Amino acid sequence: MSIADASNSKPPLSVRLRGQLGGYGFLLPWLLGFVVLTLGPAVSSFYLSLTDFGLMGSAKWIGAENYVRIASDDPRFWTAMKVTFTFVLLSVPLKLVFALAIAVALNKGLRGLTIFRAIFYLPSLIGGSVAIAVLWRQVFSGDGVLNQVLSALFGYEGPSWISNPSTSLYTLVLLAAWQFGSSMIIFLAGLRQIPTDMYEAASIDGASRRRQFIKITLPLLTPVIFFNAVILTIDAFKAFTSAFVVSDGSGGPIDSTLFYTLYLYQEAFTNFRFGYASALAWVLVVIIAFFTALSFMSAKYWVHYDD
Amino acid sequence: MTDTAHLPSAVEADSTPDGDKHSPMKRALIYALLTAVSFIMLYPLLWMVSSSFKPENEIFATTSLIPQEFTLDAYRRGWNGLSVSFGHMFLNSLLISVLVVVGNLISCSMAAYAFTRLQFKGRGFWFALMLGTLMMPQHAVLIPQYLMFLKFGWVNTIMPLVVPKFFAIDAFFIFLMVQFFRGIPRELDEAAIMDGAGPLRIFLKVILPLSTPVMATAAVFSFIWTWDDFFAPLIYLNDIEKYTAQLGLRTFVDATAQSDWGALLAMSTLTVLPIFILFLLFQRLLIEGIATTGMKR
Repeated sequence: MSIADASNSKPPLSVRLRGQLGGYGFLLPWLLGFVVLTLGPAVSSFYLSLTDFGLMGSAKWIGAENYVRIASDDPRFWTAMKVTFTFVLLSVPLKLVFALAIAVALNKGLRGLTIFRAIFYLPSLIGGSVAIAVLWRQVFSGDGVLNQVLSALFGYEGPSWISNPSTSLYTLVLLAAWQFGSSMIIFLAGLRQIPTDMYEAASIDGASRRRQFIKITLPLLTPVIFFNAVILTIDAFKAFTSAFVVSDGSGGPIDSTLFYTLYLYQEAFTNFRFGYASALAWVLVVIIAFFTALSFMSAKYWVHYDD
Repeated sequence: MTDTAHLPSAVEADSTPDGDKHSPMKRALIYALLTAVSFIMLYPLLWMVSSSFKPENEIFATTSLIPQEFTLDAYRRGWNGLSVSFGHMFLNSLLISVLVVVGNLISCSMAAYAFTRLQFKGRGFWFALMLGTLMMPQHAVLIPQYLMFLKFGWVNTIMPLVVPKFFAIDAFFIFLMVQFFRGIPRELDEAAIMDGAGPLRIFLKVILPLSTPVMATAAVFSFIWTWDDFFAPLIYLNDIEKYTAQLGLRTFVDATAQSDWGALLAMSTLTVLPIFILFLLFQRLLIEGIATTGMKR
């Protein structure tokens, strides 16, 4: 009971020391992992980005040359940027709109909500797997399911959407949009937070449902919209598996699905240009950090926080 | 961190007061719409499963979801379609996924306990850094990690896929557990301290026994994400005997040169099946996990 006796003053040194040791003891695995697997590699990859380094030989210091080459002498980098930004700018808004629309529909107090919610969530859970990318490849191929359905319903003989460079990227955008479920769940949780008396007051004042949605639901939901947008954008920049499987790792046809991460993978693990790939990795980190910072700065103009 | 934190009860409520004012017509319309969207969304999946039981010539002959002739032929062809059977690759995936679950549960719960319950210098600093790693893309550390594991002789073994998880590398799970541990009343710790319990005993006898929901959520998510992971195995595993089911499936795409869709869809169905079963069993846990942290798939 010695601890209880000392409770009115500072705990004795031995207890405080025990606390410190206990704290760091429990933190040790994370701390080791952080230093060895995150901090060390992050510093070292920045160093590598300033070198010419392959599988053989040692890293040769070349200063900013990799970055200069990325900016001025690498057409595939710019292709990858264009593909990735197109993907991000199309898939993120599509996902947000689907997720919000379905969440609002599900928030009407319908029976069977849990079943619908489960059905809409399922694609998010499995959509990143190779199997689904394989399936997508089939669905959008020349003799795939989509064309079968189009032909049966409208007599329209569609092309191979996957092997046509002007449509291949959009099939991947659709695959991403198909996975709106987890954002929808977050929206649902946000909708439940809106106090119902606000709607009651608005109805008494004669506000229509549409007006209530625009004046109450949307503004109160902006923190959740913001949060989803940031998370989805970061995830979209990092998309990899679907493009890899659909294009056999090439990013084709003619680089039309060359996602940034895919290009990075090719440089690092097919061409073994570790120095150059490290520079590409840091460019990606900076792009993601820039867009995250930009969203946070824009937040004060449109995100509604409780007073 | 997010406005959606701690909503499990709100998530599970099955109706809202908002709902009573709709006319039956409008209700029916919403149902019809939701059912139509559900069907369109599920159609590719249903088609995949049904095609895997059809004979090869029937797959492209009809859009019907019910096989006219039911056969397991595609599964037989697929299972042994590569030089190593899919059974072997499923076991590889299972081993890796189980080890990752164990590693994440132990290391992340320890870190979360330190962050929420123990007083030590620098706690806030380390916590902020941990949150920072949540946002950081793995690409920044990918290449040096690879070179390090290459030096250790770990490339082409499961070590790079498993060992980091014992060092709480998945900050997402620390965050998830921190959220949960914060909700456990501190009076319980204080009572245990009165009884002379140290940090270790409080962790094992007070915190962990009360944390089964969050541990289960972390376990299921860890398993699913590891099972589904493609990038890390692609980089680290070279020999087909070491392949995971995902790598096997991707190799199978090449091997069949898209001439045996039946077998390909059969193996696709099989690789998704474990996730689907976990989804059916733990749907509520998964959905609550997403609603409380607002993260990831």
